[in-house]
Amino acid sequence: MEQKTVKDNDVLLQIRNLNVTYKTRFGPVSAVEDISFDIKRGEILGLVGESGSGKSTMGKALMRMLPRSAKVTGEMIFDGEDVMKYNEDQLRDFRGKRISMIFQDPMTSLNPVQRISDHVVEAIEVHEPETKKESALKRARTLIERLGIARRRLPDFPHQLSGGMRQRVMIGLGLVLNADLIIADEATTSLDVIVEAKLVDQFRQIRDEFGVSLLVITHNIALVAELCDRVAVMYAGQIAEIGPVEQVFDNPLHPYTKGLLKSVPNIRLDEREELYKMAGEPPSLTNPPSGCRFHPRCPFVMDICHRIDPRLDEVAPGRMVHCWLYEDHPEKETPTIEVAQ
Amino acid sequence: MTAQMTPNPEVEGVLTTEQWRRDLDRVGFVRRLLLARKWYGGDWWFVVVSAIMLIFVIIVGVFPQWFAPYNPRAEVGPALLAPGEVPLGYVLVTRGDANVTGLIDIAQPSNNIGFVVGTPASQALRDAVNRLKEEAREAGQTANYNPRPRRYQTIEDGLQALQENNIDGFIMNQSDAEAALANFPELVITGGLTEAAGKGFIFGTNQIGQDVFSRIIWGTRIALIVGLSSAVVAFVLGVPLGLISGFVGGPVDRVLTLIMDSLYSFPSIILALSIAAVLGAGIGNIIVAIAVVYIPTYFRIVRGQVLSVKEELYVDAARSLGHRSIEILTRYIFPNVIPSVVIIFSVNVSDAILTEAGLSFLGLGLPPDTPDWGIDLARGQDYLRRAWWLITFPGLMVSLVTLSFSMLGESLSEILNPRLSEL
Repeated sequence: MEQKTVKDNDVLLQIRNLNVTYKTRFGPVSAVEDISFDIKRGEILGLVGESGSGKSTMGKALMRMLPRSAKVTGEMIFDGEDVMKYNEDQLRDFRGKRISMIFQDPMTSLNPVQRISDHVVEAIEVHEPETKKESALKRARTLIERLGIARRRLPDFPHQLSGGMRQRVMIGLGLVLNADLIIADEATTSLDVIVEAKLVDQFRQIRDEFGVSLLVITHNIALVAELCDRVAVMYAGQIAEIGPVEQVFDNPLHPYTKGLLKSVPNIRLDEREELYKMAGEPPSLTNPPSGCRFHPRCPFVMDICHRIDPRLDEVAPGRMVHCWLYEDHPEKETPTIEVAQ
Repeated sequence: MTAQMTPNPEVEGVLTTEQWRRDLDRVGFVRRLLLARKWYGGDWWFVVVSAIMLIFVIIVGVFPQWFAPYNPRAEVGPALLAPGEVPLGYVLVTRGDANVTGLIDIAQPSNNIGFVVGTPASQALRDAVNRLKEEAREAGQTANYNPRPRRYQTIEDGLQALQENNIDGFIMNQSDAEAALANFPELVITGGLTEAAGKGFIFGTNQIGQDVFSRIIWGTRIALIVGLSSAVVAFVLGVPLGLISGFVGGPVDRVLTLIMDSLYSFPSIILALSIAAVLGAGIGNIIVAIAVVYIPTYFRIVRGQVLSVKEELYVDAARSLGHRSIEILTRYIFPNVIPSVVIIFSVNVSDAILTEAGLSFLGLGLPPDTPDWGIDLARGQDYLRRAWWLITFPGLMVSLVTLSFSMLGESLSEILNPRLSEL
């Protein structure tokens, strides 16, 4: 958290101390608390966590698309500019052109009464009003073929396309304006595995080809392992652990990550007795536990965990963990674990 | 998950979308026509039937004089003549020695004229006397034509009385007269009071002898003007208000909803009645009064739809692509809301026709002699047991127009909604 917001050409988006608080009748709910991370250019970052851990809120906060009842504080430096300071006009230009989002349900994320071509042409017209319709259509055609949809499908309505095709159209809507960051919010969850595999392949292809960054929000660990360069694990609105995918999955540091990985079904499941089930329930965000939010469920819980919230500390190059096991504190009694490089 | 799994654009979707096109190429012309529903997405013959019906109704409404055989306001025949019934000619029977040349000779208040009670003969007499008065007035004379009517139970009683010189004349229909006079050689037929029309009236006549068919034809015009205009006015005001209310939300929504709900909670006829009473009679005011009643219907439907559509993912997606609110409202929300409004519109047109009828019935609508289905219905219900045709035909027309409007509305909404055109 003490990282400085340096202008770095490699870093596309820097998020510093982002807080999202919903006002509800039961009091404020802090859905995202004090989150900081970077997204590099051309990087695929996975964001995993349980339902209700604040993943989707995170994604929407990046688009600045949260309802008014949500209070957002912190810094979001996108390509050197603070998005939090944007006004409504700048935001509209920012959305779609710089950053784009693919939603969970491909069945409902396209306007049912608009043709595919209209979707693409409109997206172009919104941001580049001077573009002629013919050239916009031409761009749409090229792009849609590039994404593996026949150009004669352009005049079709969304319901005439399969789920995978619709998701590809949504990706196309982000790409047609050369967005720098595409947020895929559970974009593959409702697709079957074959289509999902294709889409994953496509994500990588477009990353290589267009140089966009991707933020993949999912609870599918296997997808993250397959697709992402880095992964951030969220728990109760905080980042538990962040690091390169291989390192995090080979050697999870945070107890939550360990539990999460153990509860992924495995083909050799019968070797173990049963799938690991993490004790306890996700905490209420209206009234979060004191100290570390994970301590009521943590198998390694210590005294200090009840009282003080740890920091998200860099324990090895590129690896950060939000846990007292790896952090020193005067009140701590047990020795701190050193992470081998 | 590997690089060789490049997506093949030809595989997906071919069977679902293209199959029917190929089917269509293989079949003959008639089959192709039957398969044509797939071109439109709806049941095309539904559209055709309702459109033909509506076009016909509209032509009738625009040019009623082409279709109506009589003036709708004129009393062209005897009262309450059943459809197709040939009106009987009524004749005046007098004694042969009385030297009466016509009704005019025995129409003084001192004269007695008989007829069988409860027959149209009384109407014939009244009409004939009125005609005499009319002629006298036109000629500038002041004559008091007012013979005293004498009612008899049977024809024989009446003719007996005539033979005995108790009355000066007797009125009966022609065919009865020819049969009965054989028994009364002293009596002669002096002349016809009303002429036997060669043909009857296709839908009969009403209680004051107006042609029901002509009134229905002319009533189409009023029905279309009032029904369509008030529905259009309600549509034009209700839909944008509903869109704004649902989309903007907050205090605007609350205030608008409060107003609309209070309008809606009024019984519609009472609301229309009070508005019409304030504005006064006349077709424009009727249209306004009815439109106000139906604005909340549109408002509520549209607002509810907007509330659900605006939570749809594609609205979020549109926002994430940087669309402005106004574009989202007009291009994303409005097209998804409109199919349900089209149906309301078609129902609303027919409802407005009925409300207009109710207003006219209560005397706050159109003048009572206006040829209007509502007025005809309202007045015809008094004669329900004696003259079924008075309410049957106007009622049929209301149902027919309602039906064609809703059929058209429904099939249009099917065509307009691409989701329903799924094969």
